[in-house]
Order: sequence, then structure tokens, then C-alpha cells
Amino acid sequence: MQEELFTSGRNIPNIDPSLEIWHWPISVYLFLGGLAAGLLFFAGLITVLGKEKEYPTSVKVASIISPIALTLGLLALFYDLTHKLYFWRLYTTIRIESPMSWGAWVLLIITPLSFLWVMSYYSELFPKWKIDYKFLDTFETFLQKHRKNMAYALLPLSIVLGVYTGILLSAFNARPLWNNAILGPLFLVSGLSTGAATIILLAKSAKERHLFSKIDLGLVILELGLIVHMLMGMYAGTEVQLEAMQLLIGGEFTLMFFGFVIILGLIVPAIMEFLELGGFKIPVAVPALLILLGGLVLRFVMVEAGQITRYLY
Amino acid sequence: MNLEKSNNSHTYWNPYFGGFLLGIVMIFTFYLTGRGLGASGAMKSSVVTIVDTVAPTHAENNAYYSKFISEDKSPMNTWLVLEVIGVLIGAFISGGLSGRIGWRIQHSPKISSKRRLVFALIGGILFGLGAQIARGCTSGAALSGMSVLSSGGFLTMLGIFGTGYVAAYFFRKNWI
Repeated sequence: MQEELFTSGRNIPNIDPSLEIWHWPISVYLFLGGLAAGLLFFAGLITVLGKEKEYPTSVKVASIISPIALTLGLLALFYDLTHKLYFWRLYTTIRIESPMSWGAWVLLIITPLSFLWVMSYYSELFPKWKIDYKFLDTFETFLQKHRKNMAYALLPLSIVLGVYTGILLSAFNARPLWNNAILGPLFLVSGLSTGAATIILLAKSAKERHLFSKIDLGLVILELGLIVHMLMGMYAGTEVQLEAMQLLIGGEFTLMFFGFVIILGLIVPAIMEFLELGGFKIPVAVPALLILLGGLVLRFVMVEAGQITRYLY
Repeated sequence: MNLEKSNNSHTYWNPYFGGFLLGIVMIFTFYLTGRGLGASGAMKSSVVTIVDTVAPTHAENNAYYSKFISEDKSPMNTWLVLEVIGVLIGAFISGGLSGRIGWRIQHSPKISSKRRLVFALIGGILFGLGAQIARGCTSGAALSGMSVLSSGGFLTMLGIFGTGYVAAYFFRKNWI
């Protein structure tokens, strides 16, 4: 028997010394949640600005992705739960200080809303699949009439969803890599950027592609700034933060973080988008896919690396 | 802005200038990494990784593959693989700058695309075999070797291009 483990309080399997609780479904969910937040934010923004006719992809085709992404993400989240049947207990309480409570409630509203949004465009999206039920027709007209209201609701909700995917991690005060204030904005910006990349991928007109390339370029620069900020914050921190940062800048995750997130996922697509905007002929699918891949790898790196970092020695 | 640039798919830089730049790249490679550059090494690492994943026991028993497998390190974890990823990125940006990105198969008008691809594949396989026998390809053995005045580098260069000249006589109908 190893009494010293008990007296020091260190015998906590799967939690100490390193968290071994969150696996790939969490990273996938954080990516899909951020992607859906980005797509719904742009759909809402374009609608509020009254530019649906000019930028149809962002409000119509791309918004089909968001309910799919949310559903798959929530399934991944559900799959990861140990006590699956107790998930409803999240909805027995509202705790303003808990990111998980914020996330649970926002998801409860935004997921059906994303379905309603696609339904409001049903006859335009799938003109060949007519519905014969009068009831559904009237429902669609009702939704179309209230599209702008939905857009007004989507704007704040999608931002909360995007931030929540980051502060969900930063609320863990025992994990120094996660426990910083930048993670929320970083995941929001990354989610918006992956949303813009998806719209670029699906857009049919050069005008829409270029608008979202510009937006994406700005978001990528912002994201790089936030990453620098995060690393500088850790660099100015205590030994635990320095050790956490070491995983990213000179350790196990350096190749993934610098190679696949910063270089291949941000800098290279930014250069390509910049050249494309300058009139050079570059297939935009390449930078868009790189951005999406970079966003996914960022989630994996942060979730995996964060679980290894710790405070106690 | 780029009207004249959109149709220049066959305009390339002056090869002598390109060669000069390649020399500068060699100097930088030696300065940064302490050794020369290489191209076939990444292919070799990929093949070793695939064989090691699909048939680990075969890879361990094989005299050639086993040299590149270690317990704690993936064979992909070498700077040559990263170098080739960098080459892909650089080539993509450079192609974009000259308006050359697109799907096409360059070949002589006298032969079909299929013939060109088949011959390119055969040539590639032969070159890959040769590069492993010679312990390096044009860049790894010849270029990097010659820049440090290694006689092996000069011999490889002579071997590659000398044989190329001789063999070209028999296959010239594929191009002219």
C-alpha cells in the first residue's frame, strides 16, 4: 500500500497527475461547434444588413452545414459522456458563473434555431422536393416572415456559442495551459474563420468569395495576434505556465502547433488568400481547406496538451 | 491587374538564374541545418511509415526498412519530410504568382496523356530505386555532395545525367 499517495492527495486516477478524461469527441465537438457558430453568425449578419441577395451562399447553402455540424457535434459530446442518461440534469439549473451551463442553454436554443433557419429557406434550397402539406407551407411562410428576428437572435447566440467553446476549457483552473483569458476569444475567432472558409468553399460568385476572403484574412491576422498574446501571457507567468507553454513551443505538440496550426493552418492560407485577392489565379479551395484543417488541429492540440499540464508538483 | 500573367503557363525563369538561386538555397541549408538538402528522403520515410503501419513484422525483419524504424520515433519525424512540405507550399505559391495553377498533363503532341503518365511512372520507379542504391538522389547526393566537393557527388551527377543522355536517344520519340 502506498500511503504517501493518499496523504498527499495524489491518488486520483484519470485526474492527477494528468487529466485523461477528454478524448477526440471533445476536440471534434469544439471544432464543429465553432464552425456552426461562425456560419450562423455570418448568416445572421448578412441578413441583418439586408444583403441576402448579394451574398446568397452565406445565408442559404452554407447554413445547411450548421445544423449538421451541431447535431454531429452534440452526438460526439453525448458519446463522450460517462453517464449518458443524466445529461438532462444540465437543464435543471442555470448557473451564470459556469461556462458549461451557458453552453448547455445556448445549444438548447441555437440548435433548433439553426434547423428553423434552413427550413425557412427550404423551398429555395430544394426546389425539386415539394412538400404537399399545407401546414408545412404555412409554417415556412411564417418562418420567412420572421427571418430577420431569427437573425437578430442568432448574432448574440452564435458569439456566445463560439466563446463558450473556448472558456469551457479556460474554466479549468487546475490546467495552466487552458486557464487563460485568451482562449475564449481565440476559439471564437478561429470558429468564425472556419465558418468564413466554409462559405468561401461553397460560394459561387467571385464577389461573395472575395468578401469572405477579406473577412477571413482579417480573422486569421487576429487569430495569430491572439496566439502570440496567449504565449506571451504564459511566458510572463509562473513556472507552471512556462512548463505548459513548453509543450507548444518546444515539446510534444510543437510540430502539430507550429507546423499544422500556425504555418499550414494560418500563415500559408493567409498568403494564398492575399494573393487571390490581389488578382492572382489560386484555387481558393486550397486555403479554405487548410483553414478548416488548422482549426481542427488547434482544437486537438489544445484539448490534448491542456490535459497534460498541471499545477501540483 | 494580371491580364498578361493569366496566360503565361509556359514562361519560366531563366534556368541559369534558377540554378544560381538554388546554389544560394544550398548555402542557407548548410547554414541552418548543418547539412545538405534532399528530396527522395521524404518519399523513403513515407514508404517506411506505410510499410511499418501495414506490416510491422515485415518492416522489422527487412534489412532496409528496419534501419529507419525506432521504437519511440516515427520515421516521418525527420526534417526531410518537413522540407518537402515546405517545397509543396512554396511551389504552390510560386505557381499562383505566375498564374500556372491548374490541372493539366504536359506532353508532346505526338503521344497521349496516358502514355506520358505511364512513362513518367516507370521513370519515377527507376529513379527511386537508383536513388536508394546510390544513397541519394539528384539533390541529396549530387547537389549536396558536389557543394562539399565530395567525389561521390560528382560521380552521381555524371552517372545521372550521363545515363540520361544515353537513354534519351532511345526514348526521344516520346518528346520530339
